[in-house]
Amino acid sequence: MKGNCYIQGMAAISPQHTFDGDLLTQPMIVTQGNRLSCVEPDYRAFIAPNSLRRMTRVLKMGLAASLKCLQDGGIHVPGAIVTGTGKGSLQDTERFIKEIRDFEERALNPTPFIQSTYNAVNGLIALQQKCTQYNNTFVHRGFSFEHALLDSLLLLSEGTPNVLAGAFDEITPEHFFIKGRIGHWKRETISNDQLYAHVSPGTISGEGAAFFLLTNTPGEQTYAQIGGLQLLYKPTPAHLGTALSQFLAQRNMQPEDIDLILTGANADSNHLHYYQLLDSYPQRTQLPFKHLCGDYETAGAFALWLAATILKEQQIPKAWFPMVTHQPERLKNVLIYNHFFGEQHVFMLLHSKD
Amino acid sequence: MEDLKQKLKVQIIEALNLQDTRPEDIDDNAPLFGEGLGLDSIDSLELMVLLERNYQIKVEDPREGRKILQSVQSMAEFIQSKQPA
Repeated sequence: MKGNCYIQGMAAISPQHTFDGDLLTQPMIVTQGNRLSCVEPDYRAFIAPNSLRRMTRVLKMGLAASLKCLQDGGIHVPGAIVTGTGKGSLQDTERFIKEIRDFEERALNPTPFIQSTYNAVNGLIALQQKCTQYNNTFVHRGFSFEHALLDSLLLLSEGTPNVLAGAFDEITPEHFFIKGRIGHWKRETISNDQLYAHVSPGTISGEGAAFFLLTNTPGEQTYAQIGGLQLLYKPTPAHLGTALSQFLAQRNMQPEDIDLILTGANADSNHLHYYQLLDSYPQRTQLPFKHLCGDYETAGAFALWLAATILKEQQIPKAWFPMVTHQPERLKNVLIYNHFFGEQHVFMLLHSKD
Repeated sequence: MEDLKQKLKVQIIEALNLQDTRPEDIDDNAPLFGEGLGLDSIDSLELMVLLERNYQIKVEDPREGRKILQSVQSMAEFIQSKQPA
């Protein structure tokens, strides 16, 4: 990876209490019913009422998370805005499509059409911050956020001083039903805190918005450094193992240098075998994260937020990971391995600031 | 006419999701855009859709639309003028 990339500010809205307060003391929110929904903040602190009235859920989530991230990073106008989303605003898309049917393609409201476009959140951020810089949204299913991150890394290496990178996705009852029909979710109803005890076809759904202010130089409040990113599309398990070894070797790292591995393991028996590539890595360092956020196209952004939080705080939130009996002695290098229903696989490497 | 204006106010509040606004807060003659309710260009498109869906009136000429959407009073007068005698 050319150049350096540091997380200078960040914010997340997720099914856990991630937006406000002391994250390390927050209890885990337990949801019964296979569909995790975000804990939404009071948006009026970030968005004017006249704008708020028109926005649907994921737009509010994306805009509020991005604005808080900029505040956190101490930047008003970023050098670029780059996001990823698997589905954009589903509420608007569903409303627009229903109206096409109900009104026979006539008298269609402009608002859901405008807001159903994938880059609507980027547009809102740019308008609110009066940012006329590079602005792009990537929509590549389980690679959406990772392509936004890759583009951000390239921008930083080319000299853009800072980039606002993020991701946002929501789940609606209708979309949950549709994805259930194609086997994405478990048939049995479980609660998220019991996810890993129910290995069976499918997983639990989730949603979230996470934003990061990325810079090419470290600052006083840097959360972590992004040391590597690799994307693999439909790899064989053998290729995956080789690719991970090479990924670490290219960065002069050995498996024992990794202090923590955050995995996207989601108790889906259809795709769980991919995580066997981590069998040769110390088991005590492996923690799954999807009981906290559920599964969705841009869950990798939540994983990055979580890894950076752990590195900054130098501890693993106890209430969110009851399986952790002892805090690691050292938290310097964190590896994230996630895949989206066996198709899009991602390795991400983070280092602590010091 | 009074019933129509009252009905229009309820429909405007619902269509534009004007939270914290009640029908009695809207003055019949107050401008809908800029000052008054402070609506914008996207709202004007939403109001055109409201006229088409609820009153089967399609406003083709944007210059005409500007006059029609000036206030609740002007909208009500326009609707009434299009209804069969």
